[in-house]
Amino acid sequence: MIKKSDSLVFTILLFFLFFLSPGFGFQDTGQEKVELKLKLPKPMFVGTPRNIRSPNLERITGKSRPPFYVPKGTELLSLDKPVTSSDTEPVIGDLGFVTDGEKSGEEGYYVELGPSVQWVQIDLGRSCSLNAVLIWHYHSQARVYRDVIVQVSDDSDFITDVQTIYNNDHDNSAGLGIGKDKEYIETNEGRLIDPRGVNGRYIRLYSRGNTSNEMNHYVEVEVYGTLSK
Amino acid sequence: MNRTPAFYGLFFLVVLAALLFRVSGLELRPMHHDEANQAVKFGSLLEEGKYRYDPTQHHGPSLYYLTLPFAWIGSGTSFASLSKVTLRLVPAVFGAAIILMLLLLKDGYSPPALFFSGILAAVSPVMVYYNRFYIQETLLVFFLVGAIASGWRYLQERRWGWAAAAGFFSGMMFATKETCIILFAAATGSLVLVRVLGGSIKSRENPESKEKNSRRATLVHLLVFGGTALAVSILFFSSFFQNPRGILDSVLAFKTYFGRAAGAGFHSHPFPYYLKMLAYSRYGNGPVWSEALVLILALVGCAAVFLNRSQQMSERLFLRFTFFFTILATAIYSLIPYKTPWNILPFYIGIILLAGQGVVFLLNLSRKVIVQSLVILILGVGLCHLGLQSYRANFIYSADPRNPYVYAQTSPDFNNLVQRVEEIARFHPEHKQMLIKVITHPDEAWPLPWYLRSFGKVGYWQEVEEAGPLSDVPLIISSTDKVDRLQLQIRDSYQSEYYGLRPEVLLALHIRKDLWDKFIKERTLK
Repeated sequence: MIKKSDSLVFTILLFFLFFLSPGFGFQDTGQEKVELKLKLPKPMFVGTPRNIRSPNLERITGKSRPPFYVPKGTELLSLDKPVTSSDTEPVIGDLGFVTDGEKSGEEGYYVELGPSVQWVQIDLGRSCSLNAVLIWHYHSQARVYRDVIVQVSDDSDFITDVQTIYNNDHDNSAGLGIGKDKEYIETNEGRLIDPRGVNGRYIRLYSRGNTSNEMNHYVEVEVYGTLSK
Repeated sequence: MNRTPAFYGLFFLVVLAALLFRVSGLELRPMHHDEANQAVKFGSLLEEGKYRYDPTQHHGPSLYYLTLPFAWIGSGTSFASLSKVTLRLVPAVFGAAIILMLLLLKDGYSPPALFFSGILAAVSPVMVYYNRFYIQETLLVFFLVGAIASGWRYLQERRWGWAAAAGFFSGMMFATKETCIILFAAATGSLVLVRVLGGSIKSRENPESKEKNSRRATLVHLLVFGGTALAVSILFFSSFFQNPRGILDSVLAFKTYFGRAAGAGFHSHPFPYYLKMLAYSRYGNGPVWSEALVLILALVGCAAVFLNRSQQMSERLFLRFTFFFTILATAIYSLIPYKTPWNILPFYIGIILLAGQGVVFLLNLSRKVIVQSLVILILGVGLCHLGLQSYRANFIYSADPRNPYVYAQTSPDFNNLVQRVEEIARFHPEHKQMLIKVITHPDEAWPLPWYLRSFGKVGYWQEVEEAGPLSDVPLIISSTDKVDRLQLQIRDSYQSEYYGLRPEVLLALHIRKDLWDKFIKERTLK
């Protein structure tokens, strides 16, 4: 049996415990707050870093890409197909380089388009069911191309029936909507995009400069698929 | 052209043009890794008044102390408000002053030779490019020219003032860069060779010359020279007596630099690296770069040193000294495996002096107006070409790897990373006091400490595991090879972006999702 006096003491104790609990605002009444000073490590001073100017054709970034499976009968549709671009007068190279089958990272194998958002467009000749798109922007140097967006349509002006199959413009800086795909570092393996059988005659690929300079480049684009029935 | 007001007027115009070329657009190029290192080192001197000589990094103290007045005038005493333009004004002003300093070489060089050397130095792409670089080389060349000019004037006049000036400049050379011993060795070797080939510089006749030429006076002057040099280097290396240990460290530093010169690692380049770079460079589809005009004129100048008998004996001896000094300094710098392009400057000033002499030699080959006009025309076209290259190097290709003088330069894309960090800070309740964790290899951290100098809480680690909890950090900047391990901790709660640091080197910026969403929301509303 609990005595009345014990209950009173217990209540007072509870009262104090309640008001002094860490979550209660009165706990630090009268106590001056000070900023918790974080002691963060300083940067190490190091000498001049390596100067890299030569191309790295066989850059190894880790594991090679796992096998990619496509429907039987899938073929390369883009080889030597006509290419148009937002930049009609490339700074370097020719738009034909995009589909000429040459994927070397050396000088003379890529087309350079001007700065800001630019696109190249491949005309497959007729509507096709697409099973894979493989892109090499520029793989002789580790760099990331910004706002890589790939769209498919039967409309050469990309006004109607536009389907976006890849978009890594995470901040909508290209103005075509926010994309959820990841940015990636260019390698000699190229970037493989799965269009999931989407149909279309025209493929349009956007980019907005890269981490090394503000220009846009294409070594090769390969579009695989089957002719639509 | 004579030593008349017209000559001085023209010469000052050249200096003024050189200054304008050097101070324009200093903000264009992103801070280089080495510049940022120097800037952060200077920051502690500016804000705390502390400087401690480090025998393993950064070279001598003169750059920092000489930056102080520029910073006080340009940005006050706050490191955060310091700008890269203020910092780069130091080498830019001293770079133009090198040309002005050439005037002290009068009597050793004819005024026309000095004039043409001045023009070549004013427009030389490599000179202009590194005169806009916040590192020690420009100061080293300035003090080198000062030391040689003062030494030359002393040998002519035997006055203790010139001995003290030569000592001052020599001490400043040491307080600028320890590798000045290469230049001391080249200068000493040249003096010996000039002497061996016959001839010594006699002082001008004056009533006091006998006394001044006495052995005792020479000994006193030598003591003045050595004492001044020693006093200057002690003052600087001891941080003006705040760090006496610095004096010993300045000597111990040679161990570091000898080791670095021999084991050059990825800065190891073959013997003809410098001369090849100056003669002809072309990278990728970039333009052709060449200072062959200066090299060819210098070769003509070399011939003039021995063929031209019209000069006075003292002038001839000084030309020989310049010839030997340039050959020796070029050979030593080229023989050392460790090479970086800014090391061209200390011997290139000798090449430029010889080139100026070469122009005069060509002009004097014939008295026919047509021949002289042809020389002037070729020179004019060559100077325009050099000027155009300088413009390209500093205003178009200032951070482009197709420019031969761009070496491990920070990519312009790095500015985008800094801009993003600034943008995100606006959405954090603590703004610039938000925590930023940088997890990179040491050489991939720079120039972040410079660009993030106004942020209050930035920590630097080399490994993900060392950086403590990461799941709630507003911003993380990492090397790309650390992204996989980082992902294990931050999972999908961050938006990651890649930015270029240098060619082939990228940095990943990871932004906490709540901040990213606020940023995107505001951008969408706009």
